[in-house]
Amino acid sequence: MTEWFADNFVSILNGLAIGSLLFILAVGLSLVFGMMDVLNLGHGALYLIGAYVGFQFTGGISSWGGFLTALAVAAAFGLVAGLILSVATEPLVGRGHLDQALLTLGVALVVAEVISIIFGDDVQNVVAPPGLNESIQVFGNTYPAYRLALIGVGAVLAIVVWLVIEKSSLGALIRASVSDREMVSSVGVDNRKVKAGVFAFGSMLAALAGVLGGPVYGARTGLDETVLLLALVVIVIGGLGSVRGALIGSLVIGQVESLGRANLPEFASFMLFGALAVVLIVRPRGLFGSKVGAP
Amino acid sequence: MSAEAETPTVDEPIVPSPGSTGPSGSPGRRLPLGRLIAALLLVVLAAVPLFVAQFPTSMLARMLIFALLAVSLDLLVGITGLPSLGHAAYFGVGAYTAGLVAKHWTAAAPIPLVAAVVVAAFAAAATGWLAVRSHGVFFLMLTLAIGELIQQLSESWSDVTGGDNGLYGIPAVEVAGEPLVLVGYVYWYVLIFAVLGFAVIWAVSRSPFGAALRGIRDNEARMRSLGYSPFRYKLAGFVIAGAVAGLGGGLLAVQQQLVTPADLGFTTSALALLAVAVGGAGSLWGPAIGAALVVLIRDVYGPDLDGHGTLVLGVVFIVAVYSLRHGIAGLATTQFRRGPGRQTEKADG
Amino acid sequence: MTQPVFSRRNALGLFGLAGLAATAGCGSSVGGGSSAGSSASGGGGAIKVGLVIPQDGVYTPLGVDMKNGWDLFLERHDGMLGGYEVETVIGDEGEGPDTGVPAIQGLIQRDNVDVLVGIVNSASALGAAEAVAAAKKVLVISNAGANAVTGDARNPYIWRASFNNAQAAFAMGEYLASQQPEGGVFLMAPDYAAGQETFVAFKASYEGGGGTIAGEALTPFGTTQDFQPFLSAIPGSGAGATFVFYSGGEAVSFVQQYAGFGLKDTVPLYGSGFLTEGSVLEAQGEAAVGIQTALHYSTEIDNPANTEFVEAYQKAYDVLPTCFAVQTWDAALVLDLALADAADLSGDAVSEALGGVGEISDSPRGAWTFDGQSPKHVEYLREVQEGDGGLINVVVEELGEYGQ
Repeated sequence: MTEWFADNFVSILNGLAIGSLLFILAVGLSLVFGMMDVLNLGHGALYLIGAYVGFQFTGGISSWGGFLTALAVAAAFGLVAGLILSVATEPLVGRGHLDQALLTLGVALVVAEVISIIFGDDVQNVVAPPGLNESIQVFGNTYPAYRLALIGVGAVLAIVVWLVIEKSSLGALIRASVSDREMVSSVGVDNRKVKAGVFAFGSMLAALAGVLGGPVYGARTGLDETVLLLALVVIVIGGLGSVRGALIGSLVIGQVESLGRANLPEFASFMLFGALAVVLIVRPRGLFGSKVGAP
Repeated sequence: MSAEAETPTVDEPIVPSPGSTGPSGSPGRRLPLGRLIAALLLVVLAAVPLFVAQFPTSMLARMLIFALLAVSLDLLVGITGLPSLGHAAYFGVGAYTAGLVAKHWTAAAPIPLVAAVVVAAFAAAATGWLAVRSHGVFFLMLTLAIGELIQQLSESWSDVTGGDNGLYGIPAVEVAGEPLVLVGYVYWYVLIFAVLGFAVIWAVSRSPFGAALRGIRDNEARMRSLGYSPFRYKLAGFVIAGAVAGLGGGLLAVQQQLVTPADLGFTTSALALLAVAVGGAGSLWGPAIGAALVVLIRDVYGPDLDGHGTLVLGVVFIVAVYSLRHGIAGLATTQFRRGPGRQTEKADG
Repeated sequence: MTQPVFSRRNALGLFGLAGLAATAGCGSSVGGGSSAGSSASGGGGAIKVGLVIPQDGVYTPLGVDMKNGWDLFLERHDGMLGGYEVETVIGDEGEGPDTGVPAIQGLIQRDNVDVLVGIVNSASALGAAEAVAAAKKVLVISNAGANAVTGDARNPYIWRASFNNAQAAFAMGEYLASQQPEGGVFLMAPDYAAGQETFVAFKASYEGGGGTIAGEALTPFGTTQDFQPFLSAIPGSGAGATFVFYSGGEAVSFVQQYAGFGLKDTVPLYGSGFLTEGSVLEAQGEAAVGIQTALHYSTEIDNPANTEFVEAYQKAYDVLPTCFAVQTWDAALVLDLALADAADLSGDAVSEALGGVGEISDSPRGAWTFDGQSPKHVEYLREVQEGDGGLINVVVEELGEYGQ
C-alpha cells in the first residue's frame, strides 16, 4: 500500500494542483447556475481570456511584475465580462433557460474567434514567475514549485470563498438566492444585483484561473472547450450552487485527470464523461447540490 | 398558462391542420400556397446540377445534409422541447456505419443508408432511454456528455473507425452497379434522400403523434394527467430524430467519402443547435435555412474570411437570439407577432 | 392577411437562392469531367498551382513556413516552374480532414488547378487521395508523413517531397541501439497515426539492433496538456533514455514538463526532429538544451545550397527556416525539374516526369532521390545548443540514408 502511494505520490500531488485550479474555475459557474439556472457556456472563454492575458503580460519571460499585472488585468476583464453577461442575459430571462444558455454559447464562439484573430493560432507559453520557476524536492520526488504554489493558492481561495459564503451576510444572501430566489426578491432584494454580483465574481475567478493555469496548460485555441467540459463535470458531480460541492468535485476530478490518466490512460476520458452522465441521470443535483432537478 | 392551450390560431394547433409546410393559422387558405412554394423549391433544387458548376453543387449537397441534421434536431428541440447538445453523435454514428458498410461490404445504394438509419436508431434508443429522463438544462448537459462519450469512442476504437485519421477511402455509392462519380449525380442522390428525410419529419410533426409531442413540450404534467406516457413519447421522438440524423450522416459518407470524429463532435452539435435557433425552432423549414446559412458562412465564405467564418456565425447567432425571437421562421409568419408570447422554444420540462 | 406572408415567404426563398447564385458559376455538374487546366504542351504557358496549407488552427505556424518556402523559390526563379508561369491559389486546410478535404476539393473543382502542393495533416492527405486520383491531378505533398500515403493507399498522382513518419524514428532506433543506454529506452508519442508509426519504426530498428524497451505510453492526441501522469512512469521503469515524437504545441509542453519534473538531468531525451523544430524551440527555451533529435534537415547542414537558402530565407523573412519551409521549397524544386520535361500539364504526364527526375542534387537538405514516390534522404543527428541568435539544432553526425 505504501509502495503504491510512493509510486503515485507525484500524481496525487499533481491531482491536488489541478483540483485547485479547477476549483477556482468552477466555483463561479456553479454559483451562477445554482442561483439563476443560467448555464454559462461561455465560462471556458473567460478562462481563455485569462490565459492569453497571462501570455500577453509575461511573454514567455519569467517575471513577477508581468505575472501580477496579468492577474490584475485578467481580474478586471473577468469582472467586466461577468457584468456584461449578466446584463446580456437579463432580457432573456422570460424566455427560458435554453435561450440564455444559447446566448452564452454564441458569446463563447465570438470571444474565442476574436482571441484567435488577435493572437493567432500558435500555442503559447506562460512562464511561472521567478522563484516558482524551478523544481523542488518533495519526499524524494522532483516537482515543479509553481504547482505546489497553486495548491496553496487554491486552498487559500477555498477558505476565503467559504468564509464569505457561509459566514457573511452577503453569503447568506447568495445562499438564499440559490435556494429560493423568488422568496428573496419578495423580501425586497433586487435579484438582478445579486445575480450581477455573483456573475461578475465568478467570471473574475475564471479569468484568474486562466492566468494561474498558464504555466501548467499554456494558452492555445481550443482550450476553452476543454476547460468548459471539465468545469461542467466538476459542478454537476459536486452539485450545482454549492461551494462545498465545487471543492469536492474539483478535487475528485483533479485526481481522475492525474492518477486516472497515469494508471488507466485509455479509460480516463470515458471515466470523466461517464461520471457526468451517471450523475445527471441518477442524482442531477450532484453530491451537495441544493436544487432538485431544477429545470 | 391555460390560456395558451386555448388559442388555436397561434402556431400549431393541437388538432393538426391538413397541409401547409409551416407554422400557420387558417388551414384553408394556406393549403395551396405552402405546397406551391415547396413544389417550386423542389423543382429548382432538382435543376441545380444542370446549370450550376461543380463546386457550388457539392456545397449545396453539404447544405442539404446539414439541413437534414438541423431539421431532425428541430423535432427534438422545437417540437418535443428537448434541447440536445449531442445530436451530432447520431449523425456521426450513421456516417461511420454507412462508410464501413460501403468499404467492407457493399456500396450499392441504398444499403449503406439503410444500415446507417438502423444503427443510428439503435444508438438513439440506447442512449435516449437514459437521456429523456432529464429535463431542460440537465438534458442539455447529459446529451453533451453522451455526445462526448461517443466522440471519444470514435477516436479510441481506431481499428474500426480509423481513429483520428478518420474513415477514409469510402467508395462512391453505386446505383444499379454503376458508381456515381460525377458531382451532379451525387447531388441528386443526396437530394432524393434529404427530401425523404425531411418528409418523414414533416409527416411526424403533422400527425397526432407530433401533436402529442408538442403537448408534452408545453405541459408535461397535463399530458400525463390526460393519460399519455411522456417518457415513451419522448423516447420515440428521440429515436426518430436520431434515425433521421443517421440518414444525414449516411449521406455525408457519400458526399464527403470521409468520416472523421469531428463530424460527430461538440462543434457540429453546437452548430446544428445554432442553425435551429436562428432558423426558428419548431418550424422545420426554418432550421433548414439556418443550416444552409451555417454551411454558407463557414464552408463557402469561410476561406475568404481567413477561416474566421465562425465569428460571423457567432455574431449572427447573438443577433438572432435577441431580435429574431422565433428565428427566421418567425420573420415569415406574422402569426407570431400577435398575441401573448407563445414560446415555441420553451424547452424546460 | 395572406399577402404579406406570401411575399415574405417568397422573399426568403429567393434570399436562399440568391445566396447560391452569388456563389454559383455558370456551368454544369453533370456534363463530363473536370475542365482541363490552362494550355498547351512543352514549356511556355501558365500553370495554376493549388497550395494547401493550414491558415487556421494549431498548425498555422507550419502553414506560414510552407508558404514562405514556396514563395521564396518562385521569387528566386522569376515566378516560373519548368518554363511555366506560376499562378498560386491558396487553400486553407484548417486543422483536420473535415476542413482539409473540402479545401482540396474546392481547389480542384472550383479553381481548376493543374497541380496541388502542400498538406500538413496526413488524414487530409488520405481523405483526399481518391478525389485527387479521380481528377487526375498531381499532388506533391510537402509535409503529411503517414506511411500509407505513398504506401498502401498510394496512387500514381500522389508524390511526396517531405518525409515519412518512419524514417526519423527508424534512424534514431538504429543509433540508440548502437549506444546501448543502460536500462533500455522509454517511448512516448501521441496516440494517432504519426505517433503510432513512430513507435513501430523505432521498435523495429531498436529492438532489431538488440535494444530493450523499458516502457511506453501513447498519450491522447491533441487533448493532453499535462504530461505528468505519463512522465511519472519513467523513473520507475529504469530507462536509460527516453525517445519521443511530439510536434507543435505538445512538443513545447512536453519538453518543458520533462525538465520541470526533473527528468532532463537524469534520463537523456531523444526525439524525432519535430520535437525541437522551428518556433517550438524558441518557446521551449532552456529546457530544450541538450536534446538530441533525428531529422532530414537542420539549418546547420553544411552544403552550398543550404547556406544560400538559409541566408536568403533569413533576409526575406527575418527568421531561420524550418524543415517545413525546406520541404515546400523542395516540392517547388522537384516540380521545376519535372515540368521542364513533362509533355503537357496533364496529371499523367507530370506524374511520369516526376518519376524520371533522378537525383535532386541541390536541395538544402542534401542530395536525395525518390524511393517510389517518397524521398530517400539522409537523416541527421542534431543536438540543441546555444547559437548566435538563439537556440539551434547543431548537426552532430549523419545517420545514413533512409527510404520508405
